[in-house]
Amino acid sequence: MSSVQGSTLTSEETDLSTTSLPQRPYQVVVWNDPVNLMSYVSWVFRSYFGHSEARAHELMLQVHHEGRAVVAGGAREKAEKDVTAMHQYGLQATLEESE
Amino acid sequence: MAVGFRATSTGYRAELDAHERRLLSMLCGDVIQLFEGRAEDVMTDSEQDAAEADQAETTGPEDDAAAEDPLFAHFRAELAGLGEDESLEAPEDPVLARLLPDASEDTGEAGQFRRLSEASLREAKIADLRAARMWLESSPIRVREEQAPILGRALNDLRLTLSVRLGIEEESDAEAVHQKAMSSKAKDTESFMAEIYTFITWLQETLFSAMLAHLPDDDGGDT
Repeated sequence: MSSVQGSTLTSEETDLSTTSLPQRPYQVVVWNDPVNLMSYVSWVFRSYFGHSEARAHELMLQVHHEGRAVVAGGAREKAEKDVTAMHQYGLQATLEESE
Repeated sequence: MAVGFRATSTGYRAELDAHERRLLSMLCGDVIQLFEGRAEDVMTDSEQDAAEADQAETTGPEDDAAAEDPLFAHFRAELAGLGEDESLEAPEDPVLARLLPDASEDTGEAGQFRRLSEASLREAKIADLRAARMWLESSPIRVREEQAPILGRALNDLRLTLSVRLGIEEESDAEAVHQKAMSSKAKDTESFMAEIYTFITWLQETLFSAMLAHLPDDDGGDT
């Protein structure tokens, strides 16, 4: 991800999504690329998925440092819709079955 | 001198010189053409598949009329594209492959997904780019709050297109392009492209910084 102007990490947040979510058969993965701006990716995560500022920032950093992050999950139909939406925003996204 | 995007009471505005607007509009047009070319290629392949399927079939007498009707031929072409095992290959052009990426790491899954969704993704992107061209016709460029994401996506597609042409694959490539745009005085095609890339990056950054500032505050809770 390109870091022309990084926003600041405001607060650490505990990720509850791995423990509290019900069975989610499909997940949406966003992959790192050197073109998409951090402000852009952050805005997409917040406005499209409704993630909080801290969660969006955390996910963005995960994409940046680990190369990928699971940004959403759910039934196949919804996950497909999300992947297409990410593609419309120009993010590299794939659909995969949850472990 | 260009002035980046700032929030207004109804949306966002920026000021661009005529040549900057013309250049961006031209780039939008180029990307639209790429998508339209891809649409034609896909259509041609699908029609060929349908024609081959027709030849392989032995048609009963009651099917003859339908076989000659161009409307039925069209439906068959559509249906050929919706078969469960049918898949569509990723575009060979690296720019198109970047703008219309695979939706799965599994090649078979990606091909089937592409068959069903690529056309609408292309149409959506063409619509974004056409809207962007319209807003680029006059300065200051004004977009309402709900129009800003459309312009943002179009600018992003321009950056993705240029990034492929400039060979940006790693963070270090992006940095090298940035340096080239800043330092280069020689006006070869690549340094010109690097300048445009850097310019659009700046413009998009001003737009999304303003848009981020405008998102409602949250208490840190996640939905």
